[in-house]
Amino acid sequence: MDHIAGGSLMDETSHTTRREWLASVLMGVGLVASYGVLAVEGLMFLLPKRLKPRTRLLFAGQIDRYKVGGVQGFYDLQGNQILVKRSESGFQAFSSVCPHLGCRVHWEVDKQQFFCPCHRGVFDANGVAISGPPAAAGQRLSQVPLKVDELSGVIYIEVKDAKRKQI
Amino acid sequence: MIPKEQSRKVASLRERMKAMFPFNWELLKHAGAEPVPYHLKKWWFCLGGTALYLFIVQVVTGIALTFYYVPSPDQAYASVAAITRDIRFGWFIRSLHKWSANFMIVAVILHMLRVYFTGAYRHPRQLNWCIGFLLLGTTLTFGFTGYSLVYEQLSFWGATVATNLAAAVPLIGPYLGYFLRGGTEVGENTLTRFFILHIGVLPTVAFILLSLHILLIRLQGVTELQFEGEVVPKEEQYFRFWPDHATTELMIGVLLMYLLTIVALIFPAGLGAPADPTQTPAHIKPEWYFYFNFRLLKLTSLRVSVVLTLGLGSIAFFWPFIEEWLSRRFRMPDAIPVTLGVLAFLSFLVLTIWESFSI
Repeated sequence: MDHIAGGSLMDETSHTTRREWLASVLMGVGLVASYGVLAVEGLMFLLPKRLKPRTRLLFAGQIDRYKVGGVQGFYDLQGNQILVKRSESGFQAFSSVCPHLGCRVHWEVDKQQFFCPCHRGVFDANGVAISGPPAAAGQRLSQVPLKVDELSGVIYIEVKDAKRKQI
Repeated sequence: MIPKEQSRKVASLRERMKAMFPFNWELLKHAGAEPVPYHLKKWWFCLGGTALYLFIVQVVTGIALTFYYVPSPDQAYASVAAITRDIRFGWFIRSLHKWSANFMIVAVILHMLRVYFTGAYRHPRQLNWCIGFLLLGTTLTFGFTGYSLVYEQLSFWGATVATNLAAAVPLIGPYLGYFLRGGTEVGENTLTRFFILHIGVLPTVAFILLSLHILLIRLQGVTELQFEGEVVPKEEQYFRFWPDHATTELMIGVLLMYLLTIVALIFPAGLGAPADPTQTPAHIKPEWYFYFNFRLLKLTSLRVSVVLTLGLGSIAFFWPFIEEWLSRRFRMPDAIPVTLGVLAFLSFLVLTIWESFSI
């Protein structure tokens, strides 16, 4: 460790040999690589892991309680209303959040459509916007996965699990 | 009207940059060309720079850790546990922080020994010795407050013992203890106080002291030494700070990172039982750098050990001035300061080793 930084190597007056040049390039690469790895690890430390949100099934009533063309509302674990609708073809569930500006839509039985009172957005029975600003933007209500248990005659909606601390 | 500067139509980018940041770059070049005595090629003369490098590691890893640490009694331990177990590379960042702290204390002690035994603290460098001594105190306080933040059993009871020790200081003790704890017992207030000391107050103090320390070194120049029987050719007596000495420091930095990574891998920072204010564990011990004081506490009474620590600390702090006065008054031979230094360090070593082998 006596002469850890050779002064002659860095002297501007002395001529740099190929070997010296190669050595300093390798040293530079090594330094950048090793501190770079550390920096990447540090960055990964600072950015929290993206956790796949865990879901759970939520009871959404019994099949025979639904009329065809009727809707029932349920709340998920974050307090958002989910609208479950029975039609001829089966069951569908929609988030009640209007894709335009986040107001809540409601089901109009007589017209068989979802209506958003904020800006008069209208969605058809499949959640596709047919009138108002959401229609202009080609939006639709987001659909919520749903499970029908024929055996017990019970409907479940799949919602995000209660909030956990993100790590 | 057009300002005079703008009337110059085409200036090179370099000129424009210089105008936007009107700094005398020649000055920096001049400062960088500071001649460094040849003996600084030996690593044991670079221990101050070593401590500085480790301090920078502490700042970087410390800032990273505060992204997740929560300074409240019911969440502190859990957040440290999350850092250690769940967060990506959390164990590594925390281990680096822990080991770098230990390395830094060793580096500071070795640096101090080097300065002492080469007589580098003597006139005109007395003030820098005092600043250095304050930096030692800051480093130890860093260690103590940092360790307490983990909020495991040992750190909780360590904080209890230490704040009671502070409370035993004559005159100001009771107020100091109450201030540190934020009450009569270690609790919620203590943790937030230690946290803000550790991440806010102490770094500021350390930064100011370090700047003064380095400024004084730069103003006075490094102590020049002549070893007995060593012949150095005239053209090799000095080398330049930049880039030659900077390269030395860089290489030491790389070596330190290498060592830190190895110890962090082999001995990652662990986690004991969470703090339980109702139960003191059977065996409590501070961190190794407080062993000497802990042993002193066992050997003498509380009062005696506190007064002894303060007294010896003050003598060490004022030593350059005390020595000057003594040698003027009694014509002290050179062997006496060396002997005293050896005795002081040996007693520190003996107390530390003694404590480390006792249960």
